[in-house]
Amino acid sequence: MVSNLILFQISVLLFLGGALLGLLSRNSRFSRHAIFVPSMIGSIFTIMFSIGVITGKPITWMIPNAVPFFDLEIFVDGISAFFLLIIGIVSFAVSLYSIGYSKEYQIEKRTAALGFLFNIFVLSMILVVSSNNAFFFLVFWESMSLTSFFLVIYDHDKEENLKSGMTYLVMTHLGTAFIFASFLLGYIQTGSFSFDSFRHGSAGFPLFVKNLVFIFAFIGFGTKAGMVPLHGWLPKAHPSAPSNISALMSAVMIKIGIYGIIRTIFDFSGFGVSPDFVWWGMLLIVFGSASAIVGVLYAVVERDIKRALAFSSIENIGIILVGLGLSVVFASFQLTAFAVLALVASMYHTINHAVFKGLLFMGAGSVVSATHTKNIEHLGGLVKQMPWTALLFLIGAISISGLPPFNGFVSEWFTMQSLLSSHHIPSTILQISIAFASLPFALTIGIAAATFVKLFGMTFLSKARSKHAIHIKEVSRSMILGMSILAAACVLLGVVPYLGTSLISTAFHLSSQPSSPFDSVSIQNSSGKSFANLSMPVVVIILSSVLVAIFGFIRVLGGNTKKTAYGTWDCGFGGLNERMEYTPTSLSQPIRAVFKVFFKPHNQTEKESFGENPYLLKTVKIETVVKNIFEEMLYAPMVSSFVFFFDKVRRLQTGKINAYLLYIMITLVLLLLFVRLSNNV
Amino acid sequence: MYDIATIVVGIIQVLAMLALAPLLTGIIRKTKARTQKRIGASILQPYYDLLKLVRKDEVISDQTSWIFRACPWVNFAAMATAAFFIPVFLVYTPFGLVGDLLLVVGLFALGRFFTMLAGLDVASSFGGLGSSREMMISALLEPALFLSIFVVAITYGGTNLSTMIEASSNSSFLPHPQIIFAAIGLFIIILGETGRLPFDNPATHLELTMVHETMILEYSGKSLAMMEWSQSIKQIILFTLMVNIFVPWGISSSILFSSLAVGFFMFAGKISLFGIFVAFLESSVAKWRLFRIPDLIAIAIATSMIGIVLCYL
Amino acid sequence: METMQFDVLTISGAVLLIATFGIVATRGFMDWLNAYRYQSIVLSGVTAIIGYVTGIWEIYIAAGLTLVIKSIIIPKVLTYVTRKLEIEFKLETNPYVSIRASVIISALLVALSYFLIQQIPFKSDQIVNAYLPVSMAQFFIGLFVLVNRRTVLSQVVGLLIIENGLFLFAMALTHGVSLLIEVGIFVDILVGILISSILLFRISRTFDSLDVGKLENLRDD
Repeated sequence: MVSNLILFQISVLLFLGGALLGLLSRNSRFSRHAIFVPSMIGSIFTIMFSIGVITGKPITWMIPNAVPFFDLEIFVDGISAFFLLIIGIVSFAVSLYSIGYSKEYQIEKRTAALGFLFNIFVLSMILVVSSNNAFFFLVFWESMSLTSFFLVIYDHDKEENLKSGMTYLVMTHLGTAFIFASFLLGYIQTGSFSFDSFRHGSAGFPLFVKNLVFIFAFIGFGTKAGMVPLHGWLPKAHPSAPSNISALMSAVMIKIGIYGIIRTIFDFSGFGVSPDFVWWGMLLIVFGSASAIVGVLYAVVERDIKRALAFSSIENIGIILVGLGLSVVFASFQLTAFAVLALVASMYHTINHAVFKGLLFMGAGSVVSATHTKNIEHLGGLVKQMPWTALLFLIGAISISGLPPFNGFVSEWFTMQSLLSSHHIPSTILQISIAFASLPFALTIGIAAATFVKLFGMTFLSKARSKHAIHIKEVSRSMILGMSILAAACVLLGVVPYLGTSLISTAFHLSSQPSSPFDSVSIQNSSGKSFANLSMPVVVIILSSVLVAIFGFIRVLGGNTKKTAYGTWDCGFGGLNERMEYTPTSLSQPIRAVFKVFFKPHNQTEKESFGENPYLLKTVKIETVVKNIFEEMLYAPMVSSFVFFFDKVRRLQTGKINAYLLYIMITLVLLLLFVRLSNNV
Repeated sequence: MYDIATIVVGIIQVLAMLALAPLLTGIIRKTKARTQKRIGASILQPYYDLLKLVRKDEVISDQTSWIFRACPWVNFAAMATAAFFIPVFLVYTPFGLVGDLLLVVGLFALGRFFTMLAGLDVASSFGGLGSSREMMISALLEPALFLSIFVVAITYGGTNLSTMIEASSNSSFLPHPQIIFAAIGLFIIILGETGRLPFDNPATHLELTMVHETMILEYSGKSLAMMEWSQSIKQIILFTLMVNIFVPWGISSSILFSSLAVGFFMFAGKISLFGIFVAFLESSVAKWRLFRIPDLIAIAIATSMIGIVLCYL
Repeated sequence: METMQFDVLTISGAVLLIATFGIVATRGFMDWLNAYRYQSIVLSGVTAIIGYVTGIWEIYIAAGLTLVIKSIIIPKVLTYVTRKLEIEFKLETNPYVSIRASVIISALLVALSYFLIQQIPFKSDQIVNAYLPVSMAQFFIGLFVLVNRRTVLSQVVGLLIIENGLFLFAMALTHGVSLLIEVGIFVDILVGILISSILLFRISRTFDSLDVGKLENLRDD
C-alpha cells in the first residue's frame, strides 16, 4: 500500500512534468498527447489519494523554511480531499477532452502555452486546497488566478477577450485583497500564518474580530465564487476562455471560493453554537438567493451559449450558498441533524454542479468547435449531425434543471428539505424569512428548466437557422469520451444518491447516512413519523418497469402500426422554412416581458422602405437589447457616486403626492420596526 | 416494512388512477357540454378515443429527431410513476418510503421538459409558440407550488404524502387557518398545471389561445394516445391531491375490504364533484390574456405566503 | 371550547384578509367596488363574531350598520356619482407597481404586521390576538394602494381599506367604543365619500384627467 503522501507527490510531479513537456514540445502529432496525458494520469493519482484521505488518515507534509520565514505546510483532511476529488474527476475528463479539442488550436497557435498553463492551473488549484499556511495559500491562489487570467486571454487576437481578461484580473485581485485582510486578522490575533494556529486560536478571538474575519473572507472568496453582486467578471471571463478552460473554471475554480468560505466558517473564524452567528447564515442565504435568481434570469435571455452557461454557474453557486447558509443557521442553534442535512445538500450540489457544468461547457465547446459560432440564433438541428454530443448535452441539461432521475434533482431535493426544516428554528422571524427565501429559490429552479429547454432545443433541435449549422461533423472520439465520463457521473449520482451522501458524510465526518444503496434517505418529523423519504434506485426501477409495461400494453392493445415520415404541418400553405421557426429571443420573450422591471428590454427598429410609402418595407431590422442592471446600476454609479447621491437628495422633493405618501409610509414602518426591535423578545 | 396485502392495495391504487384518468376527463367534458346546453359526448368517449388512436398508423414529421419520438413514453412513464406515491382511497401508500410530493413535482417537470423539447423539435412556429408560453407559465408556477407545499408540509408534518394525508384525515382544518390559504393557492396552481381555463383552453384549436395543444400538434396515433393519457393522469393525480389533502373525509385507514370499498366510493364521489366544479368554473370564466396569467399566479404566491405567516403564529 | 372559539376567530380573520386581497388584485372600478362590497360583508360578519364573543349587544348594531352602509350605500353612492365619468378614468391602467408585484408586496405587508403585533400588551385577549394583525395589515395595504395608484378614483379604494382596517382595529381593541361614536364615524365616512366623489368628478371635468401624477405640474421648478 503506497501512502497517500507519495501519491500526492507523484501527482504534483506529473502536473509539473506536463507543464514542462508543454514548454518543450514542438508542434508535432503527439504534442497534444504529451501535454494532456500527464495531466490525466496526475488526475487519476489525485482521485486516488483523495479517496484514500477520505476513507483513511489525513496527509501532512511540511518543508520548514521553504521560503525564508515561511514553512510550506501541506495538510489534506476530509474537506480538502472532497474538493480535491472534484478537481481530480473534472480535470481527468477535461484533459481527455482537451486531447481532441486542442487540435484546432494546434493549427493556429502553439499548443505549448496552452499545455503549460493548463497543467499549472490544475496544479495550483490542487495546492491551494491542500496548503495549510496562509502565505502559501495566497501564493498558490495568485498562481491560480494568474494562469487562469492568461488562459482567459488565450485567444488574444480578439479585443473583447482582452477586455474581459482585464475585468477578471482586477476583480479577482480585489477579492484577494479581502482574503489577505481576513488572514491578516488571524495573524494579528495568533502571531502565525499557519492555519493550524488559526484553527486552535480562533475560538478565543473577540466576537468583533470573528465577524470581521468572516466578512472579509466572505467578500474575498465570494468574488471568486461569482456571487452576486461581485459576479461581474464571471460572465465575461468564462465565455472568453477556450471551452476546456471554461469547463475547468466553471466546474472547479469557482468551487475553490466555496471551499474558502467553508474553511473560514468552520475552521478559522471561531464559529460556535451561539445566536451571535445566525446572521452569518442569513447573509449567505440572502446573497445565495440573490445570486440564484439574478444568474438564472440573465441565463434565460442569453443568446451566447457559453455566456448562458456562465450565468447559470452564478445561479448554482447561489443554490450552494443557500444550503451552506441554512447549515450555518441550524448549526448556530445546535440543530445538528438539520445542519448536517443542509451541509449535505450544499456539498452534494457542489459536486453535482462540477460534474454537469463541466459536461455542459465541454458540450458547448464541441458545438462551438464544430460550428464556429457561440450564438444559438445561428444554430439548430445539430441533433442529426452530432448525435452523441446532443445526447450527452441533454443529460447535462436534464441534470442541471433538477429533474429526476438525474443528479441535479437529488441535491435540489436535499436543499428543499433543508428549507422545509427551517420550521425547527426557535425564532419566528427567521422561520418566516427563510420560508420567504424559498420563493426566489423555487423560481430559480423553474426558470433553470426553461433556460435549458431553450439552450438544448435551440441548439440541437428543429432546423438549422444559418449556414453555420449545416454540413458539420461529430467531434472527435476523445472529446466524446471526456464528456461521457461526466455524463456517467451525472447518472450515477442521480440514481444512487448513496454514493454522494456517504462520500460527503465520511469526508466531513458527519453522522452516518443510509447504510445500503437501496435504503431511502429519510427525514423524521417532530412526532417521529417520516417527514420525507427518497429512494432513487427504487424510483428508477419503477420508472423503467412502467416504461416496459406500457410499451407492451400499447403493443398488445393497438397491434403493429405503421409509421410514415412526412413534412411538418404547414397549414396547407407549403414552404415551411427555417425563417418561420421560433428564435431563441422570441422563445424567451414571455419571461422577458414578465420580468421587464428587471431586464428593461427595449427594441431598436430600423426600417428601410421602397420609396415614399412607409408601408412597403424593403428590410426591417429589430434588435432586442436587455440591460445589465448590475453594470448600469451598481458598477457604473460607483464611479460617480457622489454626484449621484446629492442628485438623489435633491430629488426627494418630487411634487408627487404618491412619493410624499411613500415617505410617510416608510417612516412609519421604520419607526414601528425600530420600536419592535429595540424591545426584542 | 409493509406486508404483501398492503403492497397489492398500493398497486391497485396506481392501476385505479391510470384506469380512471380518462373517465375524469370525460366527466369534465360532459359537464362543460351540459352547461353550454349541448348534449355532449358520452363520458366514456376518452376511452373510445384512446382505443381508436392506438390502432391508427402514425405520421411523423420528417424534421423530428428521437426526442420527439421518446417524449410520449417519457411523459407517460413520469406520470405513471408519480401515481405510485399518491394515497388514493387508502390513507397511506406503501411507496411512501420511496418518494414524496417533491418527487411527484419533479416527475411532472420531467414530463413537461420533454414536451417542451418535442414542441421545438418539429420546427414549426406552432411548437415554438407553445413551448415559449409553457416556459413562462411553468417557471412561474414552480415557486407558487413550492410555497403551498411548504404550508401543507409544515402543517401536517411532512412532504411524505402518506404522513401528510394521514395527519390531515386525523385533524380538522379548523385549528389550521393556513390550510385555507394553501388550498386557494394550490387550486390556482392545479388549474395552471392541468392547462385549464383561464390559463389554457384545452378545447381550442386556435393558435392565439393554445398552450399545451400546440406542443402536441404533430402527434398522431399511438404517440398522441400516450400524450393524451398522460395528461389525464396528471390531472387525476393533482385533483386527488387536492381532494385528499383538504377534504380527506371517508378515506380508508385500514386495508379491510369494507373500509376500502367505502373509501373508494367516497373518493370517486369527491373527485367527480371536484371535476364538475372545475368544469362549471371553466364555463364561467374566459381565457385570460397571456400576460395577465402572472397576476393570477401572484395571487397564488401571495396566499401561500400568508399561509406561511399563519403557520408560524 | 376555548380553542374552538379561537379557531373561528383566526379563520374569520383569514377570510377577511382574502377579501382584502381581492381589492388589491383588481383594477377596474366596478371590480374593486364589488370586492369592497364582499370585504364589507365579511367585516360585518367579523364584527358580529366580536359581538357574540364579548356579549355586548351594541356591537351587533355596529355590524348591522357596517352591512348596510358599507356594502350597500357606499357602493351605490359611488356608482351613482361616477356614472357619468369616462371609462378611462375608472380603470387603473398604469399603477406604479404592477398588479402582480403589488399582490406580493401586500403579502409581505401582512407578514410585517403580524411581526409588529407579536409584542402587543393584550396577548391574553383572543380577539386582539386574532384581529389586530389583520386590521393592521389592512391599514398597511390601504396605505400601499394609496401610494401605488395613479387615478383619484382608485385612491378612494385605499382610503376605504384603511377605514375598514381602523374600524376593525377599534373594534378589536375596545370592543366597540360607544354606539354614538360608531354612528358618528359611519356618517363621517359617508359624507367623506360623498364629498370626495363629487370633488373628483369636478376634477375630471376641469382637468380632463384623474391622474394624481399630474399634480406634479403644481410644483415650482
